Amino acid sequence: MRQELDDVQLIERSKKGDVSAFEQLVLKYEDKIYNLCRHMLGNAHDAEDAAQDVFLKAYQNLNKFRPEASLHTWLYRIAVNTCIDYRRKPFFESLFKSSKEGDEFVEELPADSPSPDRLYESKQISNAIQLALGRLSERLRMVILLKEIEGLSYEEIADVLDVSIGTVKSRISRAREELKKLLKKFMEQK
Amino acid sequence: MRCSKAHKLISPYIDGELPEREVSELEGHMKVCDKCRAEFEEGNDLHNLFANMAVFKAPYGFHKRLMANISSGKTREISGIPVFVRFAEAFVIIAIIVIGVVSGSFLIQGFIPDKTKEVMASLSLDVFDSAPPDSLGGVYLAMTEERNEE
Repeated sequence: MRQELDDVQLIERSKKGDVSAFEQLVLKYEDKIYNLCRHMLGNAHDAEDAAQDVFLKAYQNLNKFRPEASLHTWLYRIAVNTCIDYRRKPFFESLFKSSKEGDEFVEELPADSPSPDRLYESKQISNAIQLALGRLSERLRMVILLKEIEGLSYEEIADVLDVSIGTVKSRISRAREELKKLLKKFMEQK
Repeated sequence: MRCSKAHKLISPYIDGELPEREVSELEGHMKVCDKCRAEFEEGNDLHNLFANMAVFKAPYGFHKRLMANISSGKTREISGIPVFVRFAEAFVIIAIIVIGVVSGSFLIQGFIPDKTKEVMASLSLDVFDSAPPDSLGGVYLAMTEERNEE
């Protein structure tokens, strides 16, 4: 509750032209938004552009933000829509842009993976999941990313995607079914 | 509980989104149903695999670049792709296909053997007479022409 109050105060200050208040919000949410964009788009270049656009859109539309809503849900909604736009970028544009994996500036692997073998295994699994996610439909990919990567509740996901909780429930279930088929090899090794 | 109902509850159970009453119902069912228990275990394994996913942090200087753009009032074009770009893209793709088909049909002429060309020429409509002189139609046409001349 305290956190939400702080967000509201920072937004109010930002609306009055206090740029440093908006900067504090950016610092607070930049990693979460970038992480979502990175997983949604699959490459660092587009992810940074998209994440920058998310905050620019948020800044330009601060007056549309309802104080009773959650800021991080609002930012996630903007991020999801921005990433959808990026995925639909013109075919020719994508031909001239690098989209290879592993061109990351900062990458943080799970804290419980100290040994090189474990790190390698994590990387392999991470790549396999990324590939499998790429084969899901956009609707299913979004919902499973918001759940498994961002850790949002069903209610928050429903709010971000503007769908019912029942829809979120069934999409997550379907996404898991498809991922199980796609990742069968890795699942059997576990 | 039926397996079909259990199937619907397994995913929310993994996510901790199931009401207490349904949790105990599902757990009771999985104690006696190997199939549903196996389905839960598979789903849970998948859920645990996600713990291996890399967590990406915003690149160094991300917020400085953003704030510089905001402070300078520079709001670069935001991701929306104009409709005309999409139409132009579709037009270029169609044009490439049409040019390919037309130039391909010209090119293929050079590869047709002479014998095939003769056969194709013999099929030309120029040498086709719709009413040969000794046919009923030919006789009728000749008579009509004679009558017209008179």
